[in-house]
Amino acid sequence: MQMKLALEFDHVTKEYRSLFGRRFRALDGFSLQVQRGEIFGFLGPNGAGKTTAIHLAMGFMRPTSGSGSLLGEPFGHAPTRRRVGFLPENLALYPRPAEQLIRFYGAVNGMKASELKPRAGEVLEMVGLEDHARRNVSRFSRGMLQRVGLAQALVNDPELLILDEPTSALDPVARVGVRELLLKARARGKTIFLSSHLLSEIELLCDRVAVLHRGRLRRLGRTDELLESYERTEIAARGINANGFRGATGLDRSSWQVGPDGMVRIAVPLDQQRATINQIWEAGGEVISVIPQRRSLEEIFLEVTSGTDSTPAGGVP
Amino acid sequence: MKPILVIAVNFVREQRWPILVMLLWVLLLAFLGLTTEAARQGEDLLFMFKQVAVYVIAFSVFFGSSAIFNDRRSRRILSVLAKAISRQHYLSGLVLGITLASAIYCLTLGITGVWTLGEAGFPARQVWFLMLCLLAACMLAGTVSLMFSTFLNPFFAAGATALTMGLPFVLSYKSGDALWRLVIPVNALAAAVLKSSFEAPATGSWLPVFLALGETLVFWFAAARIFSYIDIAVSVE
Repeated sequence: MQMKLALEFDHVTKEYRSLFGRRFRALDGFSLQVQRGEIFGFLGPNGAGKTTAIHLAMGFMRPTSGSGSLLGEPFGHAPTRRRVGFLPENLALYPRPAEQLIRFYGAVNGMKASELKPRAGEVLEMVGLEDHARRNVSRFSRGMLQRVGLAQALVNDPELLILDEPTSALDPVARVGVRELLLKARARGKTIFLSSHLLSEIELLCDRVAVLHRGRLRRLGRTDELLESYERTEIAARGINANGFRGATGLDRSSWQVGPDGMVRIAVPLDQQRATINQIWEAGGEVISVIPQRRSLEEIFLEVTSGTDSTPAGGVP
Repeated sequence: MKPILVIAVNFVREQRWPILVMLLWVLLLAFLGLTTEAARQGEDLLFMFKQVAVYVIAFSVFFGSSAIFNDRRSRRILSVLAKAISRQHYLSGLVLGITLASAIYCLTLGITGVWTLGEAGFPARQVWFLMLCLLAACMLAGTVSLMFSTFLNPFFAAGATALTMGLPFVLSYKSGDALWRLVIPVNALAAAVLKSSFEAPATGSWLPVFLALGETLVFWFAAARIFSYIDIAVSVE
């Protein structure tokens, strides 16, 4: 089982201390397992602890308690990082021509000069920068810099790609390009751990997602199952006494709307659809329409992080 | 080994402007050599040579104290240490980079010294021995400041290095025991350069050179141990 994991956090807690001894807990007993070969979406609002978790995995810092592994080796094991590609948030690069820079990062990773020259050209082509290979990156736009960052992460053909906000500065065309690149990487058996605020993208790309909030894991599961679990149905009915029916069924006020024409619209979770329709019939009402409402990841994210979510924490119900 | 060399060359490349400014001093010495009559003004040239020589020790302290800070402040360290390079190797690269930067300076100064002082009768072999002393002093001073910079900001790291290097000198002066100078022999090595004269060009021995090399290893090891506990992703501002 352990061999199949690309990344594992085991009850990891990370506390930062200020100069005056004040403590801030960025991660609180955080556990997560990322399987090999999947695209994993890592979500959370600003300050949730996502970047801290990634920095721990990369060995940039040590956990206050708990442990973790990267491709089967403990966090901070330098030789393992030869098989990992990392794109940090707020990327900073040395000012030099793009191709030279990629070769520099490849050489730091222990790649031979003979394999680096063709590989640098290849990865720059992958990210659409082949025409800018000889230009100094200090003159690049933010989007181009981010693509150079992605190229340096790909230079060693990594088994595991850890990307912290990889598309935040990209235009829609470049974003589609990166999406295709990541899907191709998964098709070749690579694992991708993707932290992003672009939820529509996560929804399109990721096999599984985790939502982190205030250092704790709030949701974890397959993207399609998570979306399904939050699927609702809108039932339009008439001929029922709205107040009496609501009292009898105990439905939430927010899921209930009465139109000026007396039409009642009730939004219920998918598993309560049949029971609600039966209740409408039993109350002598008439069901006019039943419309499934698939919710977006963004709506689920907002519910989870705003505290209005009633689903039990930790997994997909 | 190759990643260490890559880090070292990258360091020299990043510091190319300060290195060029340092080399201007050497150029000034070369200019004086061209415009003065070496045989008559040899003492003045030697004074100038010694002065220009010891500057590089201060430069190596500044290089060492700011290397990690610059990479951390700019966050460039993250994309470097995300590769298959350990922190010990990263520090080795920086020590080698500081040594390379100092070696460029010492080599240029050595060539200029042989040319200018040689005409005045100073033995070329002694010029190169003094340059070796200087390089060993730079290596040790740079590594000490690098060690302090793993947990202090550059200003305090440079100050702590000055204290560390100066303390044996003070103890030696107070106690009258010259052995104190060998504890951290930067001072002894600088003194070898500063005390050289046309009458006694060879004032130093090889012992401080070897001690400096050995102590560089000790301070590098200490720096690596301390740095392995540092949260490098935390802002240094």
